[in-house]
Amino acid sequence: MMSFRYLETGANPAAFNMGLDEAILESVSTGTERPTLRFYAWKPAAVSIGYFQGVRDEVDLERCAELGVDVVRRLTGGGAVFHSAELTYSVVVPESHPLAAGGIMESYRAVCAGVIGGLAVLGIAAEFAPLNDVVASGKKLSGNAQTRKRGCLLQHGTVLLGVDLDTMFTVLKVPNEKLKGKLIEDVCARVSSVSDMTGRTVGYDEAVPAFERGFADALGGLGERSGPSPAELARARALAEERFASRTWIFRR
Amino acid sequence: MKGSYIGKPAGGKLLRLDLEWEDGLVASVAIRGDFFAHPEEGFEDAEAALVGTSVDDVGETFAAGLSSRGVTLFGLTAADIGAAAASIVASSGAKGTFS
Repeated sequence: MMSFRYLETGANPAAFNMGLDEAILESVSTGTERPTLRFYAWKPAAVSIGYFQGVRDEVDLERCAELGVDVVRRLTGGGAVFHSAELTYSVVVPESHPLAAGGIMESYRAVCAGVIGGLAVLGIAAEFAPLNDVVASGKKLSGNAQTRKRGCLLQHGTVLLGVDLDTMFTVLKVPNEKLKGKLIEDVCARVSSVSDMTGRTVGYDEAVPAFERGFADALGGLGERSGPSPAELARARALAEERFASRTWIFRR
Repeated sequence: MKGSYIGKPAGGKLLRLDLEWEDGLVASVAIRGDFFAHPEEGFEDAEAALVGTSVDDVGETFAAGLSSRGVTLFGLTAADIGAAAASIVASSGAKGTFS
C-alpha cells in the first residue's frame, strides 16, 4: 500500500481549518495528491457544529463573540464541539481505498485505530465505541465524523488533550439553564482528556509524534511530515472566505 | 398551522423538527440535529421534497425519498421524523390554536 501523505499544519482559525480539509478532499479526488493524513489545532478556540445542526440551537453566538471564539459549520454531520486543547486530525482517501471499502462503520473503526494507537503511545488503553467515538475506562476521549464526497472519504476527529468545561458550557447552549450544573456533572462522568488520564499536561507538540506513530500503523505508513501544496493553500483560503466564514453557510440551518 | 418538536428518539440522537402546514399539506419543514446522513445532499433533497405532501404521511414520504436517493442515516430514522411530525400535528389539534 502506498504510504500516506502526512501534513502537520499547526493552529489556525476555524474557517481555514475546514477550508483546508475540503481542499485536500478535492486534490485527493482529482488524483493530484495521494491519500492524506493531516494534524492540526485551532487558534483562536472554536466551536464547530455538525452539518445538520442549527447554529442558533447549539451556540451562544454573543458569548463566542465576546470571548473571541470562532464558529464554523462542518462538512460532516454529528454534534457541536468546542475545540480548545486538542489535537485534530483529518484523513482523506478515495472510496476505493481499502480503508473506505468496508462500509461506514468499518471505515470509522479503521481510521480510529490511529487515534487508539496514538493514545497507546501515551500510555492510555482506549477502544473504539461505535459509531464514532474512542473511549478509555468508559470515558470519551475522541469524537470523529466522516463524509463521502467526490468519490472520497473525509474523516476528521478530535483527541481531547484537556477539557475546559466552564468555557465549553459558556459557548455551547444547554437545553435547560436550570440543569446546567447537573449537565456539567454528567459530562464530567462521560468525557475525559489525555491530560486527565495521564495525570500530567500533554500539549499538541507532544501529542503529534505519538499520534504520528499511531496513524502510521493504522494507515500502513506515512511519508515525511510536510505542508499542503501552494494550490491547496490557495484553495483553502478561498473556501474559508467563500464558504466556511460566510453567514450563508454558518446560518444555513 | 405550525409547530416544533425537540426530543431524543429511542436509540437516536437529538432531533429538532419545525413543521408548517396548510390544508393538511406541508408548507415548510426543517430537520436539525446531530445525526449523520450519507450523502448529505440526498437528505436535503428528500427533506425539501416533503413540501406539498400530506402532513399525515411525512414519515412514509420521507422514508421513500431517502430510499430513492440512496441515503443512509445514523442516529435518526424516517420513522422518528414521522413520529415527531405526528406529535406536532396532534398537539396543535389538541390545543385547537395556531402556535
